[in-house]
Amino acid sequence: MIYNRKLTRALAASVLAFAASGVSAAESPITIVINQSPWFPGFQAVVEKYEEDTGNTVELDVNPFAGSLEKQRTAVRADQSPYDVLIMNAGFFSEFYSGGFMQPLTDIDPAFSLSEDIYTFDDSVCWNAEDKKISCDGGGLLSVPVNPNVLILHYRQDLYEEAGLSVPTTWDELYDNAKALQTDARYGISQRGQRGTFDVTYDVFPYIWSHGGGIVDQQDDGSYRVTINSPGTLAGMETYLKLAADVGHPSTAGQTQTNVIQNMATGRAVHINSVPAPGLFDDESKSMVVGQVAYAPPPGTSEFPSATPLGHWLAGVPKNISDDHKQAALAFLTWFQSDEAQRAYAEAGSMPVSRAVLESDMADQPEYRWMKALAAALPNARLTFTFPEATQVLAVTELRFNQAIGGEMPLNQALNTAAEEITKVMQDAGYDLPAPEMLP
Amino acid sequence: MKTDTFWRHATLWPALVLFALLTVLPLIKLFALSFNDVEWINREAVWDWVGLANYARLPEDNLLRAGALNTLIFAVVAVALQMLIGFVLALLTVQVVRGRVFYRTVFILPILVPGIIIGAIWKLMYSYDFGVLNSFLAWFGLTPQDWLGNPDLALLSVIIVDVWHWTPFCFLLLLAGLESLPDDIFEAARIDGATRWQQLRYITLPLMMPTIAVTFVFRMILAFKVFDEIYLLTGGGPGTSTEVISFTIYRRFFTEDQTGYGAAMSIAVIAVIAAGIIAATRATAGKGAKA
Repeated sequence: MIYNRKLTRALAASVLAFAASGVSAAESPITIVINQSPWFPGFQAVVEKYEEDTGNTVELDVNPFAGSLEKQRTAVRADQSPYDVLIMNAGFFSEFYSGGFMQPLTDIDPAFSLSEDIYTFDDSVCWNAEDKKISCDGGGLLSVPVNPNVLILHYRQDLYEEAGLSVPTTWDELYDNAKALQTDARYGISQRGQRGTFDVTYDVFPYIWSHGGGIVDQQDDGSYRVTINSPGTLAGMETYLKLAADVGHPSTAGQTQTNVIQNMATGRAVHINSVPAPGLFDDESKSMVVGQVAYAPPPGTSEFPSATPLGHWLAGVPKNISDDHKQAALAFLTWFQSDEAQRAYAEAGSMPVSRAVLESDMADQPEYRWMKALAAALPNARLTFTFPEATQVLAVTELRFNQAIGGEMPLNQALNTAAEEITKVMQDAGYDLPAPEMLP
Repeated sequence: MKTDTFWRHATLWPALVLFALLTVLPLIKLFALSFNDVEWINREAVWDWVGLANYARLPEDNLLRAGALNTLIFAVVAVALQMLIGFVLALLTVQVVRGRVFYRTVFILPILVPGIIIGAIWKLMYSYDFGVLNSFLAWFGLTPQDWLGNPDLALLSVIIVDVWHWTPFCFLLLLAGLESLPDDIFEAARIDGATRWQQLRYITLPLMMPTIAVTFVFRMILAFKVFDEIYLLTGGGPGTSTEVISFTIYRRFFTEDQTGYGAAMSIAVIAVIAAGIIAATRATAGKGAKA
C-alpha cells in the first residue's frame, strides 16, 4: 500500500514536471551528421534552442571533415540511414544529388519552400535529375543551406590603425601591408597550404579566380574545360607563392585551417583568408586579439574583382529513412530558416544563411562587424565543383598545389601534371575533354 | 584415440568459422570488387566488370609508387631502430635483479597511450610556432625547424614518433626472450673465460634469433600497415613525403570513392606483404641455435 502511494506520487510529480516544461515533442527524434568546423559551436547552440523551443530532440553526430563524408556515403547507401539530416559540403553535395540519394523536400511536404531570405548559392539547393545538373529551373529542391562558408580576409584592425593603412582590395596592396606589418614575431599572412580533403585547393581559389584562372571551368553548361594550367591560374599561384615566401608562414605547406586560425588568435598573423569564426576571435578564453580582428572580402586584381569559393554547407534529407523521420527532419529545416533561428545562429557566433539577417541592423553592432564583409563577398562567391567526380579531382589538386607550395615540384610542372591528371579523371568518367595545352 | 583427435579438431571449428566469416568472406568480396567499377545510380550500386583494368592502373599510380617507397623506408628504418633500441633496453633491464618491474613498466608506457593522443602530443611538440622542440632549439640559439612541413624532415619526424611508440613492443618481447634463456649455458661460458661480448655474440644472439625473428616479422607487418600516426601528424604531406600505402588505399577507396580500384590496390598490397612474410619466415627458419 505504501509502495502504491509512493508510486502514485512519483507518477504525479513526473506528469507535473512534464506539463511545467511547457512544450512536448511533436516530432520524432532526429540525428544529424555534421563535421567539426569553426562554425559548429553556433550550429550546436541553435540546435539546443530548437530543442528548448519545440521539445523535439536532435542528436548531433560530429566528425572530422573526411569522416563526415564517409559516414554520409555509407548511410545513404544502406537499407536505412541512421541519419535523418546530412550536412553536405559544397565540394561533394553533387554526388549525393546525382546518385539519387536525397529526398526532394517538396515530396515530404508539398507546401515546403525555401524562404526568400535564404541564399540559394548558385542554385546549389536544387538538382535537375533529367538534365543532370544543378538548377532550380526544372530541378527539385533537395536541400536547405545551413552555413555560407566563404573565405573572407581577416586583418588586424589595431595594427592597421596604428600604421595608418587602408584595407587592401588587391593582392599587391595586401602584400605591401603585410610587408609593412610583419615582424620577427608576426607573420604578414598565414595561408592554409596543407594537403587534405579540400584544404589547400579551397585556399587558393581566391588567388586563381582573381587572376582569371580556375581548375575546371564551364561546369554550368556541361562543356567543361580544364583550366588548372591556364596562364590565369599560374599568375594566381605565383601571387600565392610570393606572399608565402616573402611575408608568409615558413611552413605554409604544413598549415591547416586550425593552424591558420591559431596564428590569428594568438597574434602571430596580421592577415588570414579564412572562413569566418568570429565567435572565436572575440572570445577572451580563446583569443589574444579580442576586438582587434576586422573583416573584408578577399582581395582581387586590377583586372578581376574579388572572388571567393563557396564552401557552404547544405542540409538534405536522405530517401532511406522513415516518413515520420522525414517529417521531423523537415520540421527542423523549416524552423532553421526562420528569422528568429537565423538571428540566434548569428548571436551564437556563426554565419547565418539569411540575407535579411546579414543586412539587418545587427551588422552595425561591433560584435557582428563580420556581417558586412560577408554580405559584400557573397555576390562574388562561386561554386567550386558541381560534378560527382569532384573527390578525385580534389585528390589531384590537393597534392599538386601542396607540392608546388612546399617546393617539392616546380609550379609550372605541378600545374601541367595536375591538368593531365584531371583530364584523365574526367575522360575516364565519360566526359568528352580534349588533351590540355601545356604551360611552357 | 580417434575420438580424441576428433574433439581436438572440433574445438577449433568455431574459431575457424568465425575466421571464415570475418576474414575470408570479406577478402573474397574485396577480390571480386577489384575486377569491377562501382557506380551509384538511383540508389543502386551498379557493378561494371572491368577485368584486370584496375590492376593495370597500379603501376601508373604515382601516389602508390610514392607510398610504396615511403612505406618501405618507414618500415625498414623504424623497425631497425625499434629492434636495436628495444634489444639494448632489454639487455640492460635483464641485468637488473631488484626493481626490474619498475623499469619494465616505465619502458612500456608509450605503447599504452592511444594513437589519437600520441598524434596530439607529438603534433604539439612538433609545432613550428608553439612546439617544445623548437623552443628547445631556440634556447640554444638554433634555427627552428619545420618538423612536419618540410618534405626533407617530415618522414623522419614521423619515424621518430613511431620509434617512440613501438620500441616498447620490441622491448617487451625481447625481454621475455632473454628472461627465458637458460642460465647454465652462460655460467659455463663464464667459467670458460668468455667475455661479455663473446657471450652476447656467440650465445645470446643465436639463442635469441627465433624471438628476434618473430618480433621483427610482427613489427614489419604492423609498420607496413601504419596509418594513424600519418593521418594525425601529416595527412601524407607535405607533397608525397609521408604518403604511405595504407593512406593511399584509404584515399582511393574511401575519400575518392574508387572502390574497385581501391580493392585492387588492397589485394596487391596483401599479396606483397604475404610474400614478404613467407620469405622472412623461410629466411629465418633454422637460423636460431637450439637451446
